[in-house]
Amino acid sequence: MMFGNLNNYLLIAVKICGILGTLIYLIFSLVIVKQVSTMSKNVKDKFNGVLIAFSYIHLMAAVLLVFLALTIL
Amino acid sequence: MTRSNDLDLVAPDDVIENKMEETRNEKLETPTDTVKTANLKEKIYGIVGHTKHPLSSLLVNPHVFNFEEKDDAEKIILVARPHWITNLSWILITVLLIIGPSLLKFVPLIGEMPAKLQMISIFAWYMITFAFAFEKFLSWYFDVYIITDERVIDINFNNLLDKKFSETKLSMIQDITSRVSGMGQTIFNYGNVYIQTAAEIPEITFEMVPNPEKIIKVLQVMREEEEKEILEGRVR
Repeated sequence: MMFGNLNNYLLIAVKICGILGTLIYLIFSLVIVKQVSTMSKNVKDKFNGVLIAFSYIHLMAAVLLVFLALTIL
Repeated sequence: MTRSNDLDLVAPDDVIENKMEETRNEKLETPTDTVKTANLKEKIYGIVGHTKHPLSSLLVNPHVFNFEEKDDAEKIILVARPHWITNLSWILITVLLIIGPSLLKFVPLIGEMPAKLQMISIFAWYMITFAFAFEKFLSWYFDVYIITDERVIDINFNNLLDKKFSETKLSMIQDITSRVSGMGQTIFNYGNVYIQTAAEIPEITFEMVPNPEKIIKVLQVMREEEEKEILEGRVR
C-alpha cells in the first residue's frame, strides 16, 4: 500500500518535472530563434536562410515536445 | 562632417558642406580605380586562392557576405572564420550524444521505465543534442574576422546578449604577429594572428584562423594600398 502511494507520487513528480522542463526548453528554443535572427541581421551570408529555417523547425519540435509532455505524461 | 575654419564668419557649430568630399566620392568610380580594384583582387586571389566552398574558413572577395556596420563604399577583401578542425571536439560530443540512447537499454533502471516515458525522454534527448550542436555551429559560423579595404573587423557573438564588435583602420595597424602552437595547429596550419593597433583597442586577435601567414600577407598588401591611397590623397 505504502509503495503503491510512493509510486503514484513519483509519477506525479515526474510528470510535473517533465512539463516544466519542456516549457523551459520551449523558452530556450524561442531564444535560439531570436539569437539566429539577430546574428543574421548583423552578419549576412549564404547559409543564414538555412539557419533561420533550422531554428524555426527546432521551435516547432519544442512545441511538439510540450504537447507530448502534456498528453503522454 | 567638416566645420568651418574661419570662426569669424560663421558660428562654431555651423556645418559647412564639403564639396571636395563629394567630388572625391565621385572619383572613386573612375575606370582607373576599377582597374586598381581588379588588380588588388587578383593580388589577394594570388595569396589566398579562390574560395571553393561557401562554408570555407577563408572567403576571398565574397559577393554575398555582408555585415551591418559596413559602409556603402567599403569593399570586403577577406572574411576569416576559425579553422574547421576547431569544430571537431563538439562534433565528436554530438556523435556520442546521438548514439547515447541506444546504450540506455543496458541501464537497468531506465530500461524498466514506461514505454511512453522512454519515448518522450529520447525525443527530448535528441532535441537537446540538436540544440547543443546548433549553438556550437552558430558560434563558429558567426565568429568572423573581416578585412575590408578600409578596416580590420572582429565580430564575435558569445550569446544573444553579448555581441562584440572591434574594428581598427588599416592605417592604425602598427604590428602584426602570428602564433601557431601545438601539434594540431602545426599539422592543420592554423593559429592566432595578433594585430596591434594605435587605436583605442590595442589589439585585435584573429583566433584559430587557417593559414595565418597568408592573412598576414593580405594585411601587408592592404596596408601598402592604404599608404598609397594616403600619398595619392584618395583616402575616404
